[in-house]
Amino acid sequence: MNGGKDKAMTGQIAKALTEAAGLLRGPQRMIPLIQKLVFDKARVTFEQRHLYSYTTSRLDSGEELTSLLHWILDAQRPDGGIAAYYSLLTGYSESYPEVTGYIVPTLYDFARSAADDRAAAAAEQATRWLLSLQMPTGAFPAGLHSSGAQPSVFNTGQILQGLVRAHAETNRPEILRASVAAGDWLVKVQQADGSWSGPGAYQDVAHTYYSMVAWALAELSECTAGPRHDQNDHGNMDYGLAAERNLDWVLSHFKPNGWIDGINLRSHPNYLHFIAYVLQGVLECATLRRRSDAIQTVAKSAWVLLRKFETNKYLPGAYEADFKDGHRFTCLTGNAQMACVWLRLFEVTDDLRYLNAALKMNEMLKQLIPARGLRGMVGGVSGSYPIWGRYQPLRYISWGCKFFADALLLEQRLTRSFDASTVEALPCAS
Amino acid sequence: MRIVILSSSVYSESACAMAVRMSELRHVPVGALALSTFDRGTLLRKVGQWGVREVARYARAKLIPHRGNGQPQLRNPCLEPLLKHQGGVFLSLREVAAVHGFPIALCNEQNAPDSITRLKEWSPDLIIFTGGNILRKQLLEVPRLGALNVHLGLLPEIRGMSSPEWSLLQHVPVGITIHFMDAGIDTGPILQRYEFPHAPQCESLSDLRNRLIAFGIEKAAEVVAGLDRGTIAGTPQSDLDEDHQFFVMHDWLRARAAERLTQSHLAAVPGTVNG
Repeated sequence: MNGGKDKAMTGQIAKALTEAAGLLRGPQRMIPLIQKLVFDKARVTFEQRHLYSYTTSRLDSGEELTSLLHWILDAQRPDGGIAAYYSLLTGYSESYPEVTGYIVPTLYDFARSAADDRAAAAAEQATRWLLSLQMPTGAFPAGLHSSGAQPSVFNTGQILQGLVRAHAETNRPEILRASVAAGDWLVKVQQADGSWSGPGAYQDVAHTYYSMVAWALAELSECTAGPRHDQNDHGNMDYGLAAERNLDWVLSHFKPNGWIDGINLRSHPNYLHFIAYVLQGVLECATLRRRSDAIQTVAKSAWVLLRKFETNKYLPGAYEADFKDGHRFTCLTGNAQMACVWLRLFEVTDDLRYLNAALKMNEMLKQLIPARGLRGMVGGVSGSYPIWGRYQPLRYISWGCKFFADALLLEQRLTRSFDASTVEALPCAS
Repeated sequence: MRIVILSSSVYSESACAMAVRMSELRHVPVGALALSTFDRGTLLRKVGQWGVREVARYARAKLIPHRGNGQPQLRNPCLEPLLKHQGGVFLSLREVAAVHGFPIALCNEQNAPDSITRLKEWSPDLIIFTGGNILRKQLLEVPRLGALNVHLGLLPEIRGMSSPEWSLLQHVPVGITIHFMDAGIDTGPILQRYEFPHAPQCESLSDLRNRLIAFGIEKAAEVVAGLDRGTIAGTPQSDLDEDHQFFVMHDWLRARAAERLTQSHLAAVPGTVNG
């Protein structure tokens, strides 16, 4: 037991030393690193939060969105994949299949919203790369591009989201075939109770945040429904049912106080990123499967976090069980995901308090995006604030950009539709 | 009735107006407990509520109290009738206290042991809260009848902050509720609810707030008289299980609330064609 712990500790130290050595290969990052450390220290020291306050950035959401998308386009590697992160110590990482997969819908959304062909072209390039990675079983590999080739349930689910969207945009049959193969593999390796555990699951155990996989299966079910896909009718039924089997398993882990058990990450705390994953996955899967019970369950947890955010003006980066003992850093990705959850709940319930909280959250995040600095910093979302926080320290991460871009795109769409409905409601409007 | 006023600052116009109105009713306060104006928390709270520019304007108005034309400058002009005094206006609780003869104590935290001790010395029947900290159980247990708050929204529908603005967006009538305070936020027993009939006459959100504050002080006087006669009692709120709490409204939504108010204003002004 202790030998295992020692080994893990040694591994962490070796990883830290390797990362620090990266600075020797890229000394130009030294000054921006020091500047960022000083900036965050000063900000944390002098920042004031009280009941009446919320951050106002006066930064335009559209410009911020463009800046985030430029960061993602810059992070696209020559192979077509998107780097996992830009480290202030080691620079850009290898392409990351999982994130590349679920960035695809964001790229298409941005392309549509801003009429930007470069985003659509990047999505197509990313899709081509993903197709080249698929294993004969239909699964996709775990980890970074260069790190082995074990099949991964979570990555397959996340990539499936991108493939389903890419097929909807391009109607290319090979993308549909790849999606169905991925879906079939996921259904095949699912446990009878609806979870995914054993080989293919992270650390071999079941996780509630795999609700994101259920969401992808529910999307595949929608995509393969209808007369054009008669040959998949049997599979179609399986994808939807498999999604709901997982949904029910995840729902059984929600506690009356809103906390969700079963995130199950050994040697990691319950990062907000994973808590928000559970909520996003359940909410989106429930919406597609018309499960109002699941939407209500998510709303309860989302409301607990909303109250904490509104009262304290920030959400801790990680929690102990039952939302206790929040850590003293913020996980920006988790914050952006919560903005997405609140915005979608506003869309589903019409409760303006969700929109109100999401607008404030987006304002806070906008303030933390660098407008100047190295290429991998400008428009980037750091893992933690302050940047030395426990979640992805000293890194700007691509999935942070993805979720914040999603939040701003949702904000744009919902505020426009709110204004449009208000105009329609006026007595003079015809 | 022995009344104590709790205030967020000695310069609070609402607290001054409330003390004046109570004195007019022959319920001269037995004391007033105000947060120190130059306390860091108070300053930050006001900057958060009003913005730096408005706080600077307010400070200038209090330090240099007369405009070029010799007229007094109030942040809430709707309180002017109550605050008028000998050709000028009351600008601080100290001035009101000097005229009506009651003591003032300053503190940095209304729930602090020193503050509680001072309150106990005054032995109040009723505390009237016009601003300050979130009151804790120990303080709430001091007055014989309770601590009274004028909430700028109808309870139980709209609890918490930015209540007039939320009322407009939630299509709940604009109004005030006078209630006893408990450990929750706006969850204590309700004494009276009043819809505000003049919302359509208001030209802006700040105009609406100003009028609601004046309306609330007037209605608080009625409620205090009722409490004194024993004809009013608190009614516990019925649906505390439902979460009706609202939080500070983001500027984007405030602008939409202001549009709603403008629409009702246009509809109410005679001769104005809607649209």
